[in-house]
Amino acid sequence: MKHIGLIILAWLIPNLAGQDIYVCKNAVITLYSKAPIEDIDARTDRGTSVFNATTGELAFSVPIRSFKFDKALMQEHFNENYLESDKYPQAVFKGKITGTTDLSKDGSYSISVTGVLDVHGVKQTRTIPGKITVTGGTVSMAAEFMVACKDHNIEIPTLVFHNIAESIRIQVSANYSPYKATP
Amino acid sequence: MKPSLLIIALCLSGTMLKAQTTKTDTGNTDALLKSLSTPDKAEPVIATFKATRLILSQTTETVKKKELNFLVIHRFGDIGGGGGGGKTLWGLDNSSDIYIGFEYGISDNFNIDFGRSKYEQLLELGLKYNFLHQTVDDSSPVAITGLVKTGFKPYHVNTAVFDNYGDRFSYLLEAIIARKFSPALSLQIAPSYILNNSPFPFIAGNEKRFFSLAAAGRLKFSKRMGIVVDYVHPFSSFRNNSIDPKFYNGLGVGIEIETGGHVFTINFSNTQYISEFNYLNDTESSWGKGQFRLGFTISRIFDFNKKHKNY
Repeated sequence: MKHIGLIILAWLIPNLAGQDIYVCKNAVITLYSKAPIEDIDARTDRGTSVFNATTGELAFSVPIRSFKFDKALMQEHFNENYLESDKYPQAVFKGKITGTTDLSKDGSYSISVTGVLDVHGVKQTRTIPGKITVTGGTVSMAAEFMVACKDHNIEIPTLVFHNIAESIRIQVSANYSPYKATP
Repeated sequence: MKPSLLIIALCLSGTMLKAQTTKTDTGNTDALLKSLSTPDKAEPVIATFKATRLILSQTTETVKKKELNFLVIHRFGDIGGGGGGGKTLWGLDNSSDIYIGFEYGISDNFNIDFGRSKYEQLLELGLKYNFLHQTVDDSSPVAITGLVKTGFKPYHVNTAVFDNYGDRFSYLLEAIIARKFSPALSLQIAPSYILNNSPFPFIAGNEKRFFSLAAAGRLKFSKRMGIVVDYVHPFSSFRNNSIDPKFYNGLGVGIEIETGGHVFTINFSNTQYISEFNYLNDTESSWGKGQFRLGFTISRIFDFNKKHKNY
């Protein structure tokens, strides 16, 4: 009989562990920069994210091609000249959160994430402040930060001087759902 | 019997446990992230060419919805030969042709084009439709764009043969097939069919209609600059056999520079004219005789899409 108890315990542990992983398939990421001539404004809802609440690991991946701009030409230049999306199709962030969160309780937690932001083939270590909100069992995350073009080797030629600001504001928001490993 | 079964079951659940924990392992965040993102396989290839024009040919590119492309194309006079040399500042004093045109995007794939050439005051109205996009996964290896154009000469031209208005019309039907082989190299071929209501130039034996084939390509050597080459060959026995006047195939080479809002091409070509109706019908100058000229194309996109959507 005590064997059965052990087996039940053994079965329960992985199931509990599985519930600590949260995933998001449609994270919204926006780019914005105000510039004297043209504002840059782009959005995607095709970011994916994995959040491991046990280890505090947080990862984001965004297809560069999925960013939509108002101006088709701007979108083409963004992909073709600045981000070179055929060479570097994804922007990736991998980090670990610091700060206390209790996902079983509703509330809002200020966190900060330290990790590596890989954009345009250039990896930069960043610490990004963010917020985790738990309401009625759903977990969501939001963050806003600035990225300097030169940090990621994104060259802005002098010919295009005033059109593009040197720093881009990035906003991220993701609503997570518990990850269920498909058998 | 019973304990052994239990042990087997325990072992099994143990392996299950192991499988589960490896999945949640730190290293597997990557795999999980990868499994979540389902890339669109049939993603279209973008920017096969920078502009809707190369030197002579049109490209498979279309102007996107609610955008207006303003084009100024210029060909100077012969650099060498009888009409060139120092007295004309190697052709810069003359202009063989000047074209001003507009292309508007009704949808992302459908354009209406209008333009006028200096040579014979030719007016053109065209429709351009991008049937097929090349895709990243090669489910469609090429982009195909169709072009229909009509040309109209509103005034008495030097041949003075256009008695009826109907005689002044020409038509062009073209398919443009392009492939971006790498971020640096794009090639295209364009078979076309031309129909002149009165054959031009108006010489006995000239056909009213003929096929032609254009081949063009771009090789980028920096993010914003590339070499462009453009060649056209009319399959016209009249043009190939005539000795006086003698006709030549159009060949242009140039450099394309993209500045963010404009696309410039600085080129040299033997054809004097800018419109297909003129250069396919009547290219009488030859590279070999110094009858090539400096030319340029300026393409500027104006955007009429509503700005500043609030997300």
